[in-house]
Amino acid sequence: MATIRIAIPTEKGGLDDLVYDRLGRAPTFTIVEADLDTGEIKKVEVIKNPGAEAGSGAGVKAAQAIADAKATVYVGPNPGPNAYAALQYLGVKIFTITGVKVKDAVKNVIEELKS
Amino acid sequence: MKNMPFILGVSGGKGGTGKSFVATNLAALLSQKFKVVLADIDVEAPNDFLLLGLEDPGKSEDIRSFFPIIDYKKCTACGACAKVCDTGAIVMAKGRPPMIMPRLCSGCKACIYACPYDAMLPGERVIGKLFVRDVSTKIGSFKLVTGMLKEGEEHTPPAVVYTKRRALEEAKDKDVLIVDTGAGSGNSIAAALQGSKILIAVTEPTPLGAHDLRAILEIARGNDIRTWMIINRSNIGPEDELLKIADEYNVEKVFRIPYSKEVVLSYAKGKLVVIENPDSEPARVLRRVAEEVSALIRRSLVEVKSP
Repeated sequence: MATIRIAIPTEKGGLDDLVYDRLGRAPTFTIVEADLDTGEIKKVEVIKNPGAEAGSGAGVKAAQAIADAKATVYVGPNPGPNAYAALQYLGVKIFTITGVKVKDAVKNVIEELKS
Repeated sequence: MKNMPFILGVSGGKGGTGKSFVATNLAALLSQKFKVVLADIDVEAPNDFLLLGLEDPGKSEDIRSFFPIIDYKKCTACGACAKVCDTGAIVMAKGRPPMIMPRLCSGCKACIYACPYDAMLPGERVIGKLFVRDVSTKIGSFKLVTGMLKEGEEHTPPAVVYTKRRALEEAKDKDVLIVDTGAGSGNSIAAALQGSKILIAVTEPTPLGAHDLRAILEIARGNDIRTWMIINRSNIGPEDELLKIADEYNVEKVFRIPYSKEVVLSYAKGKLVVIENPDSEPARVLRRVAEEVSALIRRSLVEVKSP
């Protein structure tokens, strides 16, 4: 049984929150732990994004926070060039989805990862 | 041993008040009597050379800033450098040496001091260009130093500091260094103005001019710099607010350059108004400013010579 941890930029956080439209300046990240085979959601955590209040390098700080939370998949808006490079280096897979609820984004990505 | 040049700062807070206009005209006027270097430290948009009617700013060299190099033999991936990096330029993946994002690095060197294993080595990165050239006008010649930040760079101060240092080098056997700063009142403007004997604050009689005048005078006060003020386009609005602020900050002299067609026309042609229209009112005021500055310079040269 394979579990994965997915990071999604959010405002307040949680499965019913919308995917935030920016990565670096998102107030929080919702970290969803799910079973890759069944798609079952095991755990939901909400962490603060240190990039939200950073003077500069917000995207990079956000990417670091995602990796520190042991997430290996990022789902959200298109990352900027710095954040993109950081996520690549940190070994985090990138999926671009916005305008949907967190739970729908997660469902979508799990299907994508299985195929 | 050679004396330090007299440093004349030209700033104003608000953009478009005529800082570069004043600085270029004063450079030409002062070059009649003194050896002058004009430093264009508006590194984000340097264009004194255009106001002087020049096609290019001169011979170029790189502006370099500190950028760390990782010694992979020594690095233990402990993450100490990433913790101290204020700009978030260092990313750590577990058990792997850090990755450094060049654009985000401000060149502060904190990572070098934080690394317990001496695995951070001092390297360099090109963040802009510096230009030096001679400028000859009908009334005098001077040297122009121009700093230009690379497009998209996030940190201005390192380029400002580098340009100022090079300008001081070029001015070490000269009498006057005129520092033309960019708009604003942040730390890069303060760095550019450091060491000025006098700051000429160029402003205009508008609410924006007044607001930003206060900001630049605050910087002058914090750095113990004496101040004069030029109210540019003096006839376009009420100046009460400007004079009130000037009084509050002990501005020593106030000059007024009225809005005039001559200035606009000479400006558009890349000509100096003091040369194109020497009889115009703006040219007359600028000459008076230059005379007052000359008196200060002479006094400071005497002061330095006497033991």
